[in-house]
This record gives sequence, C-alpha cells and structure tokens, in this order.
Amino acid sequence: METENIEKTSNDILIKTIGITKVYRVGDIRVNALRGIDLEIKKGAFVAIMGPSGSGKSTLMNILGCLDVPTSGQYFLNNIDISKLNDNQLANIRNEEIGFVFQTFNLLPRATVYDNVELPLIYSTKKIRDKKKKILDAIGSVGLTELIKHKPNEISGGEKQRVAIARALVNEPSVILADEPTGNLDSRTGEEIMAIFQRLNREGKTIILVTHELDIAKHTHKIIYLKDGIIYKHEEVKDQISAEEELKKMPRLEDSMIINSYI
Amino acid sequence: MRRLLENIKIAFQALFLNKMRSFLTMLGIIIGVGAVVAMISVGVGAKQSVVSSIQDIGSNLIIITPGNPEREEDVGLQLILGGQQPKLKSNDVQAIKREATLISGVAPIVYNSSAITYLNKSARTTICASSEDYLKLYNMDVEKGNFFKKSDVTNASNVAVIGKTTAKKLFGKIEPIGKIIRIDGKNFKVIGILEARGADMFGIDQDDIIIIPVTTALNKLYGLDSYNMIIAQSISDKDINAATEEIRSILRKHRNIKFGEKEDFMIQSQTQILDVISAVTGIFTVVIASIAGISLLVGGIGIMNIMLVSVTERTREIGIRKAIGAKNRDILVQFLVESTVLSVTGGILGILFAIFVSTILNTFTPLKTSITAQPVIIAIVFSTIIGLFFGIYPAMRAAKLNPIDALRYE
Repeated sequence: METENIEKTSNDILIKTIGITKVYRVGDIRVNALRGIDLEIKKGAFVAIMGPSGSGKSTLMNILGCLDVPTSGQYFLNNIDISKLNDNQLANIRNEEIGFVFQTFNLLPRATVYDNVELPLIYSTKKIRDKKKKILDAIGSVGLTELIKHKPNEISGGEKQRVAIARALVNEPSVILADEPTGNLDSRTGEEIMAIFQRLNREGKTIILVTHELDIAKHTHKIIYLKDGIIYKHEEVKDQISAEEELKKMPRLEDSMIINSYI
Repeated sequence: MRRLLENIKIAFQALFLNKMRSFLTMLGIIIGVGAVVAMISVGVGAKQSVVSSIQDIGSNLIIITPGNPEREEDVGLQLILGGQQPKLKSNDVQAIKREATLISGVAPIVYNSSAITYLNKSARTTICASSEDYLKLYNMDVEKGNFFKKSDVTNASNVAVIGKTTAKKLFGKIEPIGKIIRIDGKNFKVIGILEARGADMFGIDQDDIIIIPVTTALNKLYGLDSYNMIIAQSISDKDINAATEEIRSILRKHRNIKFGEKEDFMIQSQTQILDVISAVTGIFTVVIASIAGISLLVGGIGIMNIMLVSVTERTREIGIRKAIGAKNRDILVQFLVESTVLSVTGGILGILFAIFVSTILNTFTPLKTSITAQPVIIAIVFSTIIGLFFGIYPAMRAAKLNPIDALRYE
C-alpha cells in the first residue's frame, strides 16, 4: 500500500528539488543566492514564483531551466537527477523538456516568425517527423498564422511574446518557464498573454511563472513566495483571475479583435 | 549534414546582413588569392610560351656560341681587345659536318639589323643569314615561293626570303615574289615568303625578318668572317646529350684546346635551356608563394578580427540558442562555418578576379596567361584552411559563453 503510494506520487511529480543552494562569488564576496529550496511541482500545475528583486527567483528559474546547476542539493526533472548532468546533457534537457518565455522575448532579430519557432527543432537530437506541421501548429495555437513570414521588428510586442510562446511549445516540453512574460507589455496585451497561458494550462501544460506582480501571479493556481534565497510562504490561489473575464471588462482595442476571435 | 546546411544558410544570412563589412573583410582574401592566382597564370603562361617557342624553334637543337663567360680572359678581353675574342667560323661548321655522327643537320647563323627599301618604302628589320638547312632545323616552311638552295649559299647569291610582317611593311598588297629589294644598298631578289610564326616569348614579332644566304651576308653585306652562332640538330632526342658531347670534343680538337683548359665557346642543348627556365620559374613560384602566404595571413587576421566583433555583437543570439538547446559544439560549428564561408567566398571571388585580370592581360597585352586547375584548387583549399584556422578562436569564445550571462547581455 505504501509503495504504491510513493510510486503514484513520483509519477505525478514533474519537478522536485531537495535542499538546493547556490553560491556566487563576486570577487572575494560570497553571495548566497539560494539557501535550501525544497520544491515539488506536479504535472499540469500552474505555479507562480514571486519575490522582490534579490530574492533569488531568477537564480531558481535558471536552475529549474537547466541553464545553471545548483551548488548543492538535488533537482529532479521527470525523475532525472539534473544536478549530475554535463553541459551537453543539460542542453538536451533544455531542448526537449523545457520551453522558455522571457520578459524581453529573446527572438532572433534576423529570423522570420517561422524560423524562430523552428529553432528548437534544429537543435533536437531526435528525428522529427512532420516538422513543418509542428511549427505551423505551434504558430497557429498562438494565432499568428498570418505573420509567419514577418521578422520580429515588423510585429508588436504582444505578437513577439506569442512567437516566443509558440517557440516554447513546438518541442512539446514537459514544462514552460516564463520569466516575467508580461513585464514589457501593456496591461491589455499582458492579459492576452496570460489568457494564452491559462488556456495552455487547461490543455494540460505545466507552467511556472516568475513575476513580481501579484495581479499576474493570481492568474495561476499556486504562488510560491521567495525571499533571501528561501521559500518563506506558499499558498493556493483562492480567487483565481480569469484572463478572459478581465479582457471582457477592458476597453476593446482594435488589435484585440483578433485575439478574442481564437480564444 | 542537414545541420551543416542549416549552418551554411545561417552564415550566408549573417554575411548578407552586413554586406559592406563582409566584403571589406573578404577583400584581404580576394586580393591575396586574386593576385597569386593571376601571377601564377602569368608565370605558367610565360613558361608555356617559352617552352613552346623553344620547341617551336625546332626540336633537339644544340646551340654553339663563341666565347665562354666561365673563361676569365673572355670576359675582360672581349671588352678591351674587341678583335681578340674567340670566333666561330666556317671551318668549325665544316668540322662538325664532317666528323659528327649523331647530328642530322648543322647551320651557321648571323644576325644583324639593316635598312631595307622597296621603291620609295623603307624599313629596318632583322636580317638572319644562314644556310639552306635553316628551314629544316627551325621547323619552318615557306608559304609562297622557295627557300634558297645550296648553290645560292655556295655562290653567295643575292636572294632573300622574307617574313610576312616585312612583306606587308614593304609591299602592302603588291605580290613580293620576284621583286628586287635593297638591303643596306645592295639589290636582293625576293624568292619566297615564310609561314607566319607570330610573336615569341618576349613579344617580338618573328615575322619581321629577312633570311639571306650566310655567304652573301658575310662577304657582300657586312664584311665579317665569323658567325653569331652555330645550330646543330641531333638525330633523336635520346641522343641529344651524346651529340652535345660529340660536338664539344670535335670543336675542342679542332680549336686546339688542351686537356684541362676551358673552352672558348659555349654549347647548350635545348634540354639544358629548358632546365634553366624551369629553375627560374621555380624561384618565381617560391616568391609568389611567400607573397601569397603573407597576404593570406593578413586576410586571415582580418577574418579573425571581424569574427570576434560578430561574436560580441551576437552574444544575446548565442544565449538564446543555448537556452533553446544548442550545445557548445553547435555554436562552435555555426561560427566556424561562418568564418569559412567568409574566407572561401573571398577565395572564389579572388579566383574570379584573377580570371578577369588574366583575360585582360591576354587580350590587351603581349603577355600570355594561363589559368590552370592547380592554383585554383590550392587557393580554395588554402582559403578553407584560413577560415578554419582564424575562425577557431572566435568560435571557441562563442561556444564557451555562459548562456545566463549571454542572455542578459545588452
């Protein structure tokens, strides 16, 4: 009975960290960015990590995103111990298991929307069938089919972030890590982006959102509060904000016509 | 393989985005490769035309000239005591004719430059005086009329065989055969016109020439008693060295040169002349190769410089690619491909530039050029190596970038 329970838990859990610490050296000074993070995130969860600047949330994000390794502690993603992997293996994990969405979009400026979304497939070690269909599906799911031949400087900020989301989706990763995805957007566009995340979560995607805005964090199911490198509070969101409801309340802008038509 | 094609595509996109910068960077390679391939084409062309004009002269020729620069007294005496210099005379030719067994023909040659006139037209041209064997030795033929015969040489007849250019200069559209021309005031009857031969390796028109019997030239025109040189032909190319030695011993004996004493004449076979030419072109090639090395080095440093700039400019792009799953190797290959594309494109443009220059030289100057496969292949191989060699450091810097720092780079 007990073993069955453990197995059930471990199958459900996507991310598990045990006592993660991260120490940076800045000259002679040691900076304890993370001081023991224990975290469990289930498959299909929608979690916000909140905290003031310097709380260690970016460091945690980098470690969860396999861009960095912890100084000590263990990090399991899909039951794989990430802390033991080398650079190439980490690159594979980033490619196959993680989809990044950044505050500054981080699209390749010279590449078209299509080429930007294709990028994760280029670096995939797996043989990918129906590559073109995958790319078009990902672009379609964020409603940018009409813009596939445009370059980032020809589209709006909201559209750029939707390209970034399409890029994060194209390899069907286990988890989407969004770092302040609405930080560079006006409130309506930000709400539109949150609507996409909420829809993706309803469709079963695991999403981790890093933000310092409570209004944005309240779109998720659970908020983890970080301060001085430790988790000092985590709580379920009781009065979850629905982005679609919010959008209905907002004055309609011309370009919001498009987004409402596919949500 | 597909990844490599993808990388080449990315590299070309990056190069096209900075057209001016890419072009300026490639310029070093373009000029280096272009200059070298063009110069080699001139060198190869020159060598080919030297070799072919030497073989044109006739095959298996042995050339005997008076005096020997290796004999100290010749060098000094010729200058001070003009008259005392060693000479090649009729009896030398007779001795070779009589005694040599490996020789199929021998002829004396006297060169001079004379004023020639026909009616009111006059010109200056090269007079070549020889014997009736001249045509055979030099592999030539007359286009019209006849060459002079042995009897003309014996009798010192006033007959002339003229080249096409000379014919045109003096006669224009008039038929020259049978006409009387004046060479240094003496009347000569034109009995034949030589086949056209074109320019020689130095661009000198070989058709601006008049050939007359050697006896006529010595006795009636110039009052000389010696030849500029004697030409002999060995019976086959295998025998040319033996024939050379045979002539040497005949002349030594005939000219009373004691054992151990140096000869007062020079004897060279065509093979020896060709050897000297290939030695000279060998030095030429080494000089070109060093210039090539230096210019490609400079071009390569230019590529390295611009690749370092490119890596810095695209730090964020590198960060994005790494975050999305690019391995260090992927980034390394991307930048290596880019630097190689840069240098190979430069190399190819350089080759096109060289072909252009070589065509111009061929068309508008007497220089004959020839682009061969070898320098083209070497140029491409070398520019690839340059791209890889000077690209590896910038590419490694790109590959080693930490994705977190690279993503934050402004």
